[in-house]
Amino acid sequence: MNTNQQLEHIALLAEVDDLTYRLKRWIDDCPAWQTAHKSRALITRLLERVETLRFRLETPLVVATFGGTGTGKSSLVNALVGTEVTTAGRQRPTTKTPILLVHPELEPEALGLDLSQFQLKRVDAPVLRDIVMIDCPDPDTSEGPSAGSNLAILREIVPHCDVLIYTSTQQKYKNARVIDELADVASGCRLVFVQTHADLDSDIRDDWKNFLSPSYEVPEMFFVDSGKALSEQKAEQRPSGEFGRLLNLLSSELGAAKRVEIRRANLIDLLQEALVACRSDYDTGLPHVESLIKTLDEQRKVLKDTLTKQLCDELLMNRTLWERRLLSSVTDMWGFSPFSAVLKLYNGLGAFIASFTFFRARTSAQMALIGAVQGARWMKSRAKEQEAESTLDRLSTFGISDQQLQECRLVISGHIHAAGIDYAMAEDRRDLTDLRKRAASLEDEFLGDASRVIDDVIEKLAAASSNWFTRCRYEFLFLAYLIFLLGRVGYNFFWESFLAPIFGAASSPEPLLKVDFYIPALLFLVIWSLFLVSMFTWKLRRGLTQRVQNFAQQMAESRLVHGLFPNLEATCRHISGDSQTLTGLLDQTTQFRRNIADTSSGFLGGRRET
Amino acid sequence: MTSDQELQSSFQKIADATQLAFQAIRKLQAKAQFLQPSPLDGQEWYELLRQKLVPQLGGDPWLVAAVVGGTNIGKSVVFNHLAGCRASSSSPLASGTKHPVCLVPSGFEKRHDLQSIFPDFKLHEWSVASSALEESADHDLFWRSAPELPSTLLILDTPDIDSDARVNWVRADAVRRSADVLVAVLTQQKYNDAAVKEFFRKAAAEDKAILVVFNQCLLPEDEEFWPIWLKTFCSETGVNPDAVYIAPNDRRAAEALTLPFYDRPWPVPDDWGPTSPAADGQPRDLRTDLSNLRFKEIRLRTLKGSLKQLLDSSTGAPSHLKHLQRASEELAAASERLSSEAVLKIRDWPSPPNASFVAEIRCWWKARQQGWAKKVNSFYDTIGAGVAWPFKKARDAIQGEPIPPLDKYRESEWTAILTTIEELFDKLQWMADSGNRMVKPKIEEVLQASGRSQLIESLKRHHSAVDFEAELKDTVASEMESFSSDSPELFKFYRQLHNVSAAVRPMTSVVLFSLGMGPASETVAPFVADAAANAAIHVFTDVAGGTVAAVAGDTALSGAAGTGSGMLQAWFHRLHSVFTQRRVDWLTNLIREELLGDLPEQMKSAAELPQSDEFVTTADAIKTLNSLVEELDTNRIPQ
Ligand SMILES: Nc1nc2c(ncn2[C@@H]2O[C@H](COP(=O)(O)OP(=O)(O)OP(=O)(O)O)[C@@H](O)[C@H]2O)c(=O)[nH]1
Ligand SMILES: [Mg+2]
Repeated sequence: MNTNQQLEHIALLAEVDDLTYRLKRWIDDCPAWQTAHKSRALITRLLERVETLRFRLETPLVVATFGGTGTGKSSLVNALVGTEVTTAGRQRPTTKTPILLVHPELEPEALGLDLSQFQLKRVDAPVLRDIVMIDCPDPDTSEGPSAGSNLAILREIVPHCDVLIYTSTQQKYKNARVIDELADVASGCRLVFVQTHADLDSDIRDDWKNFLSPSYEVPEMFFVDSGKALSEQKAEQRPSGEFGRLLNLLSSELGAAKRVEIRRANLIDLLQEALVACRSDYDTGLPHVESLIKTLDEQRKVLKDTLTKQLCDELLMNRTLWERRLLSSVTDMWGFSPFSAVLKLYNGLGAFIASFTFFRARTSAQMALIGAVQGARWMKSRAKEQEAESTLDRLSTFGISDQQLQECRLVISGHIHAAGIDYAMAEDRRDLTDLRKRAASLEDEFLGDASRVIDDVIEKLAAASSNWFTRCRYEFLFLAYLIFLLGRVGYNFFWESFLAPIFGAASSPEPLLKVDFYIPALLFLVIWSLFLVSMFTWKLRRGLTQRVQNFAQQMAESRLVHGLFPNLEATCRHISGDSQTLTGLLDQTTQFRRNIADTSSGFLGGRRET
Repeated sequence: MTSDQELQSSFQKIADATQLAFQAIRKLQAKAQFLQPSPLDGQEWYELLRQKLVPQLGGDPWLVAAVVGGTNIGKSVVFNHLAGCRASSSSPLASGTKHPVCLVPSGFEKRHDLQSIFPDFKLHEWSVASSALEESADHDLFWRSAPELPSTLLILDTPDIDSDARVNWVRADAVRRSADVLVAVLTQQKYNDAAVKEFFRKAAAEDKAILVVFNQCLLPEDEEFWPIWLKTFCSETGVNPDAVYIAPNDRRAAEALTLPFYDRPWPVPDDWGPTSPAADGQPRDLRTDLSNLRFKEIRLRTLKGSLKQLLDSSTGAPSHLKHLQRASEELAAASERLSSEAVLKIRDWPSPPNASFVAEIRCWWKARQQGWAKKVNSFYDTIGAGVAWPFKKARDAIQGEPIPPLDKYRESEWTAILTTIEELFDKLQWMADSGNRMVKPKIEEVLQASGRSQLIESLKRHHSAVDFEAELKDTVASEMESFSSDSPELFKFYRQLHNVSAAVRPMTSVVLFSLGMGPASETVAPFVADAAANAAIHVFTDVAGGTVAAVAGDTALSGAAGTGSGMLQAWFHRLHSVFTQRRVDWLTNLIREELLGDLPEQMKSAAELPQSDEFVTTADAIKTLNSLVEELDTNRIPQ
């Protein structure tokens, strides 16, 4: 081999190595799914074969005969070699022990074959310079692959062969047993098609080719008379006709230069076919997984809808709380002003009273209203509390009920079983503790989202109610009373009781205003401010129902990140990803197979890509 | 009576018995579906029964001869030689003949119903030879009148038995069964092929008359080999040929229908050698040889051969019955195990609310009181309500309106139902995984994941439609009725009604499948003892039978508690258990309707198959047939 060829070899091998590496990575990253396990077992076995092949990449190609009994396998071998090295006979079956023919210069041990299976013959024939040949027993006289039967022996040998010479005759080319056997063994082998008995039979090659084409690449078929060929060989004549061509091709096209190429093509065929099988396994298994994913999604949605609905109902029932939040937000926006001071005072008093109940807030809606920060803290304590509570008591409080959890579990466990996913549902099974914890964190997430949305709603409502015009109106109305009061008191204090007598506008100073005045004045101040405040809050609360509906809408569009079964969801995602990787690998291998198919020598056929 | 008449009548008897057996077997098969028996179609004995015995037993005899063998070895050529014309196309390409071609003596089709002779084929009158080469999904048979045939001989060309077109095998098998004589065409390449051997082994077992033709021989070289081929063939298949011919590999003669067939001796004489060719060396006329066969004898022989196959204890109908019986026993054993292990124990069934019971009893009581007593009672009730009113209001204000006890019960019952269903699914899964092959697919059907949410929905719908008020009323009414009729302590009981403290969680068992001797009796026993001890109330329900084998603490009432509060306690236990019983029955019925369907019945009936009429009838029919055939064997003097 020259350097150039060696480089080429290395390049060829590198491609195989790359594929092997990817396959190994795929194998290592196995989702907990039965179909995935099965597929990996298959590919792993094949990869082992790749390894053993590497060791004998450089040994001569193994060419074996394959075909029904009496089709002339042994006769053909004799003709090719040029002497009677194997018995051809008229009793069926003739060949029972496979005959291994090697060139005297070759060490048969290097072939990696179990030599005890063969009758070894060293023959110095030109055709054996670059290859070894095996004359195999037939596949069609044994009714089953019982030990020692021809079929069993044949099956032992074929996996070690690189090229099969498939012989047939007019009588046998449609024999079901032979065809079936070929279908089992042909992947991983190149094929040479030969019709024998040319002197006796009609040429049926066209029909044979039509018959094989759906499953095999059939570039060429040889129609030979082995008897004549053998006598020609013996007479040291150049074999003529189709046989001559066959002999030539076998001697020249399977040389050292082609070994790696052919073996690699065989290997890729095997891998590609195995991957196709895996793909179809996946295709049958995936719908179950998809329906599991769909169910998980549906459940998540149902859970969220329940939570939203519960929350909305409660939100609508807690009008005073809304008011408080709105007011504080408005006053924050407003900064300091007389009316806002009144609002603040009012809110502060309310909050003080309400605080007794808040910190023992009963519902999540209340907490969501109080605000995200405090809410989260409250949620945690509540979750702890809930764990302690007994089943029955939990039923009526906010959140996902045990019954819902149970229903979910019931449905999901069926899907898990159908999909063949290894998921320890059993642990979820006996008691609900784990599931409840997950439900609580789901509620937690949900309420977190809800609080943020509510904060937003409040912000907006407050902004709408504190525009310049509204503000001025309320400030003016409030100030009007204050000014009137101040004017009234100032008039009395400065003028009536002091300046008027001095300027002689009055005979005597009027007395200062008494408590009798201040009490009603204050009373009216309170009434007036209360009136204004309630006007204002009424306005604030207007359209609240609308807002809550909007809120529900907004929540419906949002999506919970986790469901009740986060691990299961992760497994499902893993499976989907894994399936995509498999498709990628299959595509790559198929492409590879196509690319190298073109380079194979013209007369070698093989199994068609499925 | 002459022996011929005798024979005739015993054959008529056999024909009748065969008909009976045929009908019985089909009925039995239909009944045994649950056991997933191997289908009758395709079982050799059944096909013989259907294709050979039923159409051919009784009536006047005729002979069917068929040319059979592997593909592309000259079957059609041999057939054409028999026909004396190109009745069947031959081609150099393999598996050419796809449908049988039949030569029928003239007028035969008027005297006989051809269709019943070839029940599996669609009959067509022959028009061109090539129509038998055309592929079609139907099993066609092309028949043609052949005046030169003896009036009782039918000759067929058949599709091959070894090509990849397996439908050809099916057709060839059907022809083989109908046939009495097989012309076995063999070649050097194929005489030892597995497919060929399998085919002829069956023919030999049916005791067909077989004429072997070695075609495409290289003469004279193969004179040395045919005896070896034939010995191998015979020892591999059990065939004992009635005649042997060899024909040379001469394509031109074959085309011209002048192929010579030389007959050869069988068994081969010891001193036979390639140099000792047959007596005159003249070829024989196959058709004449065929016409000279002893029809009656051959026919008797093949009918008997087929009957023997049918009645064969290891491959025939008896073995099918045996298989059915074994499957049925297996199922029975499995079900027994299942019914004892697949008991659902529902621990957390909620106890019905005492308050509601008390209210209901009061109601019942009021409705039955008259006159003064009624007035006094309603007066107290009104006063009581008046006094209680402000307290009630205050409580409502502080704690919120309480949930009505029955609503609460409904909620917790739903939880219990869910738990039950979940456990049920677990058990069913276990049964599917550990049960036998017959039960598994049925249960898996039930367990289908896609059906689960619907099941829950539908259960929920049913459950929310239950009127607990009415349930309670019914329970109280029926129980109080019986109580009032035999208890003098009624009034005392009424007075103490508010002292009730009985609250137990009834323990409920649901048996999924019970076959005959389920665990019912075992589960019943402990109830009686336990009831007195106040531990639990057991309720036992059988989903499978749909029967209600409820056992409540009957003795508790009479024995455990004499008077006073003890009696009251026991009484409430009883109410609880009766109520729970009703609820669990309701649930089990629902489970049957919504989930299990008639699976339990199917299982039961399959497990009892050997006792069924269908089974007994079939077994009897086969036994009768057996003894008739034996009689035939012993009485008959060989001709
Ligand atoms: N005329 C003719 N005869 C052939 C030809 N090839 C084989 N035969 C004959 O066919 C018979 C069977 O040949 P074998 O070579 O033993 O066949 P095989 O395929 O090895 O058979 P088994 O060893 O039984 O599997 C022998 O008698 C050969 O002489 C051929 O090309 N022309
Ligand atoms: Mg051989």
